[in-house]
Amino acid sequence: MKQYIGRRVGYSLLSLFLLSLTIFFFVRVTGDPAALLVEPGASPADIAAIHHQFGLDRPLWVQYGIFMASLFHGDLGQSFYYRMPVMGLYLSRLPNSLLLAVVAMGLSLLIGIPSGILAAVRVGRFWDSVGKLFALLGLSLPSFWVGLVLILVFSVYLGWLPSSGAGTPLHLIMPAFALGWYFAAAHMRLTRSSMLEVLGSEYVKLARIKGLPQSLVIAKHAFKNALIPVLTLAGINLVIMVNVAVVVETVFAWPGIGRLLYEGIAFRDFPVVQGVVIMGGAMIVTVNLLIDILYAVIDPRIRLER
Amino acid sequence: MARCGGTRNGGSKQSDLTRRDVLALTAIGLVAGAPAAAAATAPGGQLTWAIHVSLAPTWFDPAETEALITPYMVLYALHDAMVKQMPGKTQTPCLAESWSSSPDGLSYEFVLRKGAKFHNGEPVTADDVKFSFERYHGAAHQLMKDNVAAIETPDPQHVRFKLKKPWPDFITFYSTASGSGWIVPRKYVEQVGNEGFKKAPIGAGPYKFVSFTPGIELVLEAFDEYWRKPPGVKRLVMKVIPDEATRLAALKRGEVDIAYSVRSELAEELQRTPGLTLKPVVLQAPNWLYFPEQWDPKSPWHDLRVRQAANLAIDREGMSQALFLGYCKITNSIIPYTFDFYWQPPAAVYDPAKAKKLLAEAGYASGFDAGLLYCDSSYSNMAEVSLDNLQQIGIRAQLQPIERAAFFAGYVDKKYTRGIIQGASGAFGNAATRLASFVVNGGAYTYGSYPDIDELFSQQAGELDHEKRAAILDKMQQLVHEKAIYAPIWQLGFLNGVGPRVGESAFGLIAGFAYTAPFEDITIKGA
Repeated sequence: MKQYIGRRVGYSLLSLFLLSLTIFFFVRVTGDPAALLVEPGASPADIAAIHHQFGLDRPLWVQYGIFMASLFHGDLGQSFYYRMPVMGLYLSRLPNSLLLAVVAMGLSLLIGIPSGILAAVRVGRFWDSVGKLFALLGLSLPSFWVGLVLILVFSVYLGWLPSSGAGTPLHLIMPAFALGWYFAAAHMRLTRSSMLEVLGSEYVKLARIKGLPQSLVIAKHAFKNALIPVLTLAGINLVIMVNVAVVVETVFAWPGIGRLLYEGIAFRDFPVVQGVVIMGGAMIVTVNLLIDILYAVIDPRIRLER
Repeated sequence: MARCGGTRNGGSKQSDLTRRDVLALTAIGLVAGAPAAAAATAPGGQLTWAIHVSLAPTWFDPAETEALITPYMVLYALHDAMVKQMPGKTQTPCLAESWSSSPDGLSYEFVLRKGAKFHNGEPVTADDVKFSFERYHGAAHQLMKDNVAAIETPDPQHVRFKLKKPWPDFITFYSTASGSGWIVPRKYVEQVGNEGFKKAPIGAGPYKFVSFTPGIELVLEAFDEYWRKPPGVKRLVMKVIPDEATRLAALKRGEVDIAYSVRSELAEELQRTPGLTLKPVVLQAPNWLYFPEQWDPKSPWHDLRVRQAANLAIDREGMSQALFLGYCKITNSIIPYTFDFYWQPPAAVYDPAKAKKLLAEAGYASGFDAGLLYCDSSYSNMAEVSLDNLQQIGIRAQLQPIERAAFFAGYVDKKYTRGIIQGASGAFGNAATRLASFVVNGGAYTYGSYPDIDELFSQQAGELDHEKRAAILDKMQQLVHEKAIYAPIWQLGFLNGVGPRVGESAFGLIAGFAYTAPFEDITIKGA
């Protein structure tokens, strides 16, 4: 078991190292941040001063070395744009992203699971088609478009909800829906297929032969078992939601880490982009590691695998 | 005595995502949407801004002012300068009541305004002025420090800057081309440190700092003891709303009162919405075409008539209508009209027939292949129109859009020696500094020069008499025009929205400034 955990931890660290390397070099491909901190046509002396201030006049490998050394001390560096520690910025935005993700996840489960069950028990009929259409739209409509349409309808036309910002539960509704719809569609599809599988199993057939009412078969025997993969996926999706809400947070001016990442990209704020990506990567790698370990605890075959 | 002159410049960086496909749809939808009549803000004097870029704490400290216009949107509220641009007047005495220069141009003496106070009640003193200059490390700081030998403070009301050599542009740089003349309280900064100052800044401007969430929201409150006058609005809230369509929706709902940067289809929609007002301002950021081959005798561009033909071929008015609803200012110069020593050239003419005639006279009746037209990719829409205009008279070129940083790096490194360059500059300064960078031999963006212009530049650099210097700089600009070194396009228009509660928005009060200022002039209707 120790060997297994050690190997998994090693893989996780390797993944994070490769992620750090990739993001460090990729973000530099986007261009020179100094160009966005001066007006066009600014003097070369002013541009050179900015390069020096940010350490961008040093060789790349030296910059990477400094970045990694700081990272080992829990320091994500200093934002070029905000001139503040990235860790502080990140932590100040994280609670908002967590709140948005939790509410969006709640919405996605509230919509996805019942519609998935309905589609499964009415397979091939009207409600199944409605569910499939809902899933298709959720997975294919870009979230910025969904966001803008929501603002248009519920803020501008109807005047029911604030168009942007944070602070009240009303501010949460539209961004949570825009973010949650995609995941609701994924949860709906998984619930539907999982339910179909369970409904076709021997023990459900037996329950039906025994004369149990359909509602009891679905609610008591099928639903509970069908829910396991959905909840497993939801747990992973929650972590993903925290980290991928860039567009939704930008459209709704929601003060989360997605918007921080957008700002980092827009201003070529290398430390912010690196920091947000590394923290997001660390979150996902940690969750995967915990799941791997949990699987190994539950199933001895996994930990004995070479 | 020193004279009034240089100006605060413009040139805004717009960083929003462009999503033309959905903007069109959204605009159509917004047409049908009725604007909310009620304002969300509580009565009692609050106005809310929707800001298009993230607010950064560095903007609270004048010492860190980059060569960028954006921080001034906050500096004008929180802080005050010795001399700054104000409505109707360039280089206006502010914290300095007056200033004078010695006849040899080696010394500038400022008299501080009596009664000017910081937000903590402390008076603004000569010591604060000296301290603010010495801690400044933003744009052009090295140039300032290379030229200033010493700062003397004979008493709390007087400051004397001693220069190493005569520098006629000292006031331009001290007042408008750097943040070194914006004053912070020495005692407070020393007490809280630089980081502490950015967290809770104290200035001498019309508004006091209340709270700030980095990148999200800034709240300011009126400083009733501001020397010029008490501000008209009690509380200002600046909210960052990165998405343009969301900014417009917030303005329509009355969630915000002023929205920066609303462009294209959304600007048209804003114009059509009852109760909302489109407020265009002209930035101090001219765009132009430059012909780097004009010094090569073998190139068609060497012939003055070809360059004049290119000037006549550009339909500037049509381009402005198509791209900026007609709100760009066509000055026919590469120097912003708000700059000190600006000379107004004759109006630009669009005459493709005459352009073709000139080309034929130059021996290019069938036109010629001009190679590549290099441009900053964020302005490629303009370059496409220019390209089409040139094509219509027979000058054939291919567009080469390059990402902004790489484009300007290539421009400075003189990589675009063939073809055409579509350039721009929002850099601070005056006509002399702009000519130094873009026209005169040795300029950072100069690909060649003319001896008569270079000679005049040397003359003006040592001229301390303002009138004589202005005459030389006028002559230089006249030569730039006559030689058709450039084909100037326009000064960019920057479009904003204002809601029904706002009385005076202060957009455009300061010529060439992109944002609302002076803040103390802003009012709420009926208040």
